[in-house]
Amino acid sequence: MKRVFGVMLAVIMLVASMAGCGGADTNAVEATPNAAGSTVTEAVTTAVEEATSAEPAPVATKDVTGLKIGAITTFVKEDGGWCGAQYKGIVAAMKALNIPEANLIFVENTAEEVTAVTSAIDALAAEGVDIIMGASTGYAPILSELAPKYPNITFAQVGDKTDNLICYQIRDYQAMFLLGATSALVSGKPLLGYSAGMSEASVRRGINSFALGAKYVEPDSKVQVVWANSWYDVDKETQCAKSLIDMGITCIGINASSPAIPQTCEKNGVYCTGYHQDMLSYAPKAVMVSFMWNWEPIFETVFKSVADGTSTKDDYYFWGADKNCATISDFNADIVSTEIADKVKDLQKKIIAGEIEVFGGELKDNKGTVLVNKGEVMSDKDISAQKFLVENAIGEW
Amino acid sequence: MGNMYFRLEKRIRTPLAIRILNPVVFIVLAMGFCGIFITLAGFEPVKVYAKMIKTAFFTSKGLTQTILYSIPLMLCGLGVSISFKMNLNNLGAEGQYAVGAIASFGFVIYGPSMPLSIKLILAILIGIAAGCLWSVLAAIPKALWNVNETIISLMMNYIALLFLDYLCRGPWMNNEGLNLPYSASINKMLYLPNLFGTEINSGIIIAIISAIVIYWFFKKTTSGYQISVIKNSLSAARYAGMNIKKNILLVMGISGALAGMAGVVKIFGITHRLQPSLPGGAGFTGIIIAYLSKFNPLIVIVVSFFIAGLNTGSYSVQISGVPSQIATMIQGAILVFVLAGEFFARNKIIVGRRVSADPLKEGEA
Repeated sequence: MKRVFGVMLAVIMLVASMAGCGGADTNAVEATPNAAGSTVTEAVTTAVEEATSAEPAPVATKDVTGLKIGAITTFVKEDGGWCGAQYKGIVAAMKALNIPEANLIFVENTAEEVTAVTSAIDALAAEGVDIIMGASTGYAPILSELAPKYPNITFAQVGDKTDNLICYQIRDYQAMFLLGATSALVSGKPLLGYSAGMSEASVRRGINSFALGAKYVEPDSKVQVVWANSWYDVDKETQCAKSLIDMGITCIGINASSPAIPQTCEKNGVYCTGYHQDMLSYAPKAVMVSFMWNWEPIFETVFKSVADGTSTKDDYYFWGADKNCATISDFNADIVSTEIADKVKDLQKKIIAGEIEVFGGELKDNKGTVLVNKGEVMSDKDISAQKFLVENAIGEW
Repeated sequence: MGNMYFRLEKRIRTPLAIRILNPVVFIVLAMGFCGIFITLAGFEPVKVYAKMIKTAFFTSKGLTQTILYSIPLMLCGLGVSISFKMNLNNLGAEGQYAVGAIASFGFVIYGPSMPLSIKLILAILIGIAAGCLWSVLAAIPKALWNVNETIISLMMNYIALLFLDYLCRGPWMNNEGLNLPYSASINKMLYLPNLFGTEINSGIIIAIISAIVIYWFFKKTTSGYQISVIKNSLSAARYAGMNIKKNILLVMGISGALAGMAGVVKIFGITHRLQPSLPGGAGFTGIIIAYLSKFNPLIVIVVSFFIAGLNTGSYSVQISGVPSQIATMIQGAILVFVLAGEFFARNKIIVGRRVSADPLKEGEA
């Protein structure tokens, strides 16, 4: 047995010494401290520093109708949720620009992992695509590193601004605020529920804006948060909904793709909001109104700029209700009275006009810390990161 | 008519030709089966398959990704097959993989300052040791009290994976800008080197040498021999005075160490950072690989390579316009067909003709 370990050890030494050839200078490493002062130290550099400086992509203009578009996503376009919304946005933008549908190659089921992503990109590159859209947030650091190796392809990625990539996001909170307001008005009770997926910034943003919307119309409103700890799990989501219903809650906000929560609500005679797309068809007696992503305006601009050569790697789109990106569906007239609907539509107008800032001061988190002072507005960076739950949200994140 | 009969007879020894031909035949059958669906979807199966095989194995970019994808599969497959060789069901490769990755990355962050080549060696060894330890935890109850290791090793996966998830979303999350559950990248000096001029990292050498060492271990060493005896007859092994407890711990330990090494190679060779989805099911695919290769370490290497190729090729299938569900189905169908086809390699079908329908008369004749 000792011999076996001996041989293995020798192999590892050999491989590692090959690595060591580059130089074993410790000082070179310690000179790159982590700026955030996190626990990550010494031998770790940040992803941002990793980005290699590549030659700028040659500026080539091209008739937009000839643009070839590739997209990669972790799930399938028929998911009735996130991927579906991205797909619809791409197709709608192509239609608006007269790009034939055959010019889109949509690669599904691609894990957020470097070998999977590289395989997908290589396959797309072989087809000669001009732009690749990373349609799941987790691709950002991977695409950021891979992009310089494909100088003829423009990469666009959903999420926060990342090096080497055009990035795009929607101010979803402007619509979630309206859903919170609707729930509070319909419920008439001080306690609302929220069934959340994974604890990620975008999800916390949904919870917080929902809670703030409820508070705006009913100052005593509180929102009880429960976590499914999954992006798509019918059983867990059903349980989450049930636990909220058992607390006597009658209006529930969600951020799930599956029909589980709306259908559980319908069975128990309570109401919920929809997410990603109009969920009315899932549960016509339960869904009050849905938040819908509308990526079309952003994608149209991105495609045009890539075709005429005006796009740059610094492009960042963070568009909201004013550009019709954060939209809500029609109200379910059986549940939401015209009076309430008008009130919410009025709020929407105020948000578009900039009269209501969702994350405006004074804003406290649920531990009592002041996040934004009176008269100020939260920065986009903090709106993206959302490392808090607001004062009237009950729960941990 | 009624006088035909089929009988199954177990083969005592499967001829080499059948052992090689059998999987080939069933791969072709699986492709034929999926071909029906590809045709129904409006595509030509032959063209789709040709593109799939070409991309995965005959383009340099595709081949690179196939090999990179196969390295963790190889190590997990080796780990699982070594435990199955002693009738120990180590279903915990996924978790041991995660623990190996966590421990080695943890050492990179918290370990003392030292020359990086030494740090890399220590990080690799610590990752391997962690995978080994995680597996031995499941083996101790088995060795001492004969508690079923299948369930324990399986359940320990979830502990490890959730811990990995917690670290990536919590203390080890890279706080620079992106709000994503990724750790920071490791220093470039700590990358496993690539093979001369390619993008294939040297983890492949570790995997292949591991396979050869394990092969040699079973063929030539006393411990290896003891393990085969214990598999075949526990009482014979006991009678011969073999220490069964020790061997349980040893085999589960090596098994976990190999899975832990998969995690190490993945981090230092491929992803260069920690992320929640890191093992990505490789530990479970390792179980399939172990069965397909009949626990032969050298065949594990070949099978892993082909399974990785199926994965790489599936992207080009999608690019052809074939729905991704069919691309996934091709992967699944090939595995199911080949595993089911094993039955025909192990058994002979004997077709006979009865002289008479009356069994009594047949007996007399």
